[in-house]
Amino acid sequence: MLDYLGRCLVQLVVTLLGVVTVAFFLMRAVPGDPAQYMLGDYATKEALAVLREQLGLDLPVYQQYLLFMQRALTGDLGSSVVTGQPAMTEIMDSLPASAALAVTGLLIAIAIGVPLGIISAVRQGTWVDVAVMMGALAGISFPVFWLGLVAILVFAHKLSIFPALGASTSGGLLTQLYYLMLPAIVFGFSVAAYIARLTRSAMLEVLGQDYVRVARAMGIRESRIIGRLALRNALIPILAVIGVTFTLAFGNAILIEVVFSRPGVGSTLLKAILARDYQLVQAGVLVLAAVVVVVNVSLDVIYGFIDPRLRVT
Amino acid sequence: MTKRSSAGTSQTRRRFMQVAGAASAAATLPGAFSINAQAQAGKILRVRLGSDISVLDPSHIFQIENQTVSGHIFNGMVKYDQATNKIVPDAASEWNVSSDGTVFTFKLRPGINFQKNYGPLTSVDVKYSLDRVIDPKGGSKYTGQLAGLKSIDTPDPQTVVITLEKPNSGFLHKVTAFNQGWIVPKKAVEERGEKFKLDPVGSGPFVFEKWTAGTEVRLSANKDYFEGAPKLDGILFRVIRDETAAAIALEKREIDVFYALQQPEIIDRLKKVSGITVMNREANHTINLVLNTTIKPLNDARVRQAMAHALNRKGLIDGFFKGTKGEANSVLTSSFAEFTNDVAKYPYDPEKAKALLKEAGVPSFKFEITAVGLSPYDKIVVPMADDLRQVGIETTLKVLERGAYTQARNSGNVQSCITGVVGSPDPDSPLVSLYAKASFPPGLNTARYDQVEDLLAKASLAGDAAARNAAYKAIVQKVATDMPVIPLYSDQVFMAHTDAVKGLEQNSLFTMQSYAVALA
Repeated sequence: MLDYLGRCLVQLVVTLLGVVTVAFFLMRAVPGDPAQYMLGDYATKEALAVLREQLGLDLPVYQQYLLFMQRALTGDLGSSVVTGQPAMTEIMDSLPASAALAVTGLLIAIAIGVPLGIISAVRQGTWVDVAVMMGALAGISFPVFWLGLVAILVFAHKLSIFPALGASTSGGLLTQLYYLMLPAIVFGFSVAAYIARLTRSAMLEVLGQDYVRVARAMGIRESRIIGRLALRNALIPILAVIGVTFTLAFGNAILIEVVFSRPGVGSTLLKAILARDYQLVQAGVLVLAAVVVVVNVSLDVIYGFIDPRLRVT
Repeated sequence: MTKRSSAGTSQTRRRFMQVAGAASAAATLPGAFSINAQAQAGKILRVRLGSDISVLDPSHIFQIENQTVSGHIFNGMVKYDQATNKIVPDAASEWNVSSDGTVFTFKLRPGINFQKNYGPLTSVDVKYSLDRVIDPKGGSKYTGQLAGLKSIDTPDPQTVVITLEKPNSGFLHKVTAFNQGWIVPKKAVEERGEKFKLDPVGSGPFVFEKWTAGTEVRLSANKDYFEGAPKLDGILFRVIRDETAAAIALEKREIDVFYALQQPEIIDRLKKVSGITVMNREANHTINLVLNTTIKPLNDARVRQAMAHALNRKGLIDGFFKGTKGEANSVLTSSFAEFTNDVAKYPYDPEKAKALLKEAGVPSFKFEITAVGLSPYDKIVVPMADDLRQVGIETTLKVLERGAYTQARNSGNVQSCITGVVGSPDPDSPLVSLYAKASFPPGLNTARYDQVEDLLAKASLAGDAAARNAAYKAIVQKVATDMPVIPLYSDQVFMAHTDAVKGLEQNSLFTMQSYAVALA
């Protein structure tokens, strides 16, 4: 186990170095000059030159890269050219909001998706199955911003159960959770659709296996077959999807963040890209990559608990 | 649409508490469930911002959200009256201009103090604020605005003497409370350095408290403000990017003011809701098709006039914008003191356009519009291209990402581009930007037009208001005949608020100012 975690740590470092390098060069390949963005349409050549020099943009790209790496390795990712705040601080500030949405949304998705998937697999071909799969198809097909707006209209406007704004900075934990519920439900619902479909097909595959037939022949209770035998074997692909979705929720939840007026890493990153805020983009990409690696490692460990054959050594 | 009073929200809260209480089976819940916690904490005005703030330092400031927040924190020596755009005293109680028009002497009001114990506002702070914009190393966007200043002197703490290289009758606009005209405390800027960008200190009616990235900005009332304490206890600027969500939040009284309202559908919807007022006003802002007069056949004024006749601008305003924009015959909209409607007009007339093109000897030519890939610019060019094709101009579109667009435009090689000029009600802001030789390169005069140099100089020298109006009228009339820039429409500023908001005055700057506002 320790050996495995050691390897993971090496993997983490290599991944982060690679990702940051790619982000560094990609950002510089994007047209648009940060100095021009800052100084606007009336910037003279002289003013642009002065600012480029200050930002180190007058150096050849490889030198900029070496300088950046030198600083990054000491933990200094620079400051945002727009706001002047340390880039890492700005990203870390938006991380909790993303994490809260990802965790809550996924819990809801699992709570809805897994049972529905199981039910429709067990009742394959019945109207229950058809209804669940139709619902799942709808969940996948409706764009999440549309679902979000409908949810706001129905639950916030007509029924007045939830606030229209999906975030609050004041109040205690319960208030925060209350504000989080609507965006989390919308996010959870769209993910639940995937999970339900996946659970169903994984369950169907397992339920067709010989050992299930043997278990049934031995007269083992159906609930035990489903719960212990089938679900546990079907969990691996479901977990994989949950892992991917979890990481996506950090960077790709921009639409939910926009509709529900929530902060988040995705929104911060998008803002940084649009302003050619190189430092902020690099910090954001670094944090997202770290999240992906950490989630993957955690998944590897969890797989082992579910399926001893996959136990890491 | 039903009207929801504030009782509606507390009922909401109760309902949720019942649900939550039942779920957790808890007998008592902490008083944390309070949607209106802010409103109950005092008279806090909750204002929707369409995007997050990024920099509040006047020398670097851009975007209306930043300017709206900073407008509450800083003062200028003079300011625009919100309703009339007249220049009125702010930190300076009086000023006079030397007879040759080059020396401006300002007397600062005594007893103005910066917030957070940064001491009195003096001439040293004014000089410092202007100097840091002028300094090319300061990286300010507004260095060009203060070009032509010979010296800034501070004979005593209450007196600022600004000497210009040559007379400029519009100089006051440059030191008006907006962007580079805002006064910062020297000590605070030097102490805070980069942090000043998002932790500013000014002398204005509100004090910067806290910024939560992506969520909100909090200001508190400056009880010692020199014009009297504000009627509000504070302002909460809430970032709500989606306009539908913002409209619902306003209807549910989760916010009090919906600032920067744009979508025609949302405007229509809110107009029908009782208890909500939708305000609008013409902005100092036009969107224009700039034609490069150095490229054939656009060098011929008849071709440019033909294009103005060919474009169905009224159709664009009524159709695409559903009437939420205004018609513009000139880049000086009615919100400018120097506005005149006595200019050549180019109503939609394809036949006349064809005739003019024929007369110019180019019944057909290839033409390209370059636009930035931001709404609505990337969309309005589509019907425009159609209109131009109708009269034989083979129009293609090039929609570019913002950085690439700026680069293309600055190259000076594009045939045309879509350019908006946003700024204060300073007539030089659109006129010099679009028509002066000095404005390219760099700048917005990508038409490379140079036929009003003498008229612009004359306007600078004009002594009184009447002479200024006459001088600007001459410029506007000349460019309306030459048509290097076709004004497409003038922008309108929309804002909605609930009945609880009293005394809100809309300005034409695209910003929002709540010093005069009270909450019922």
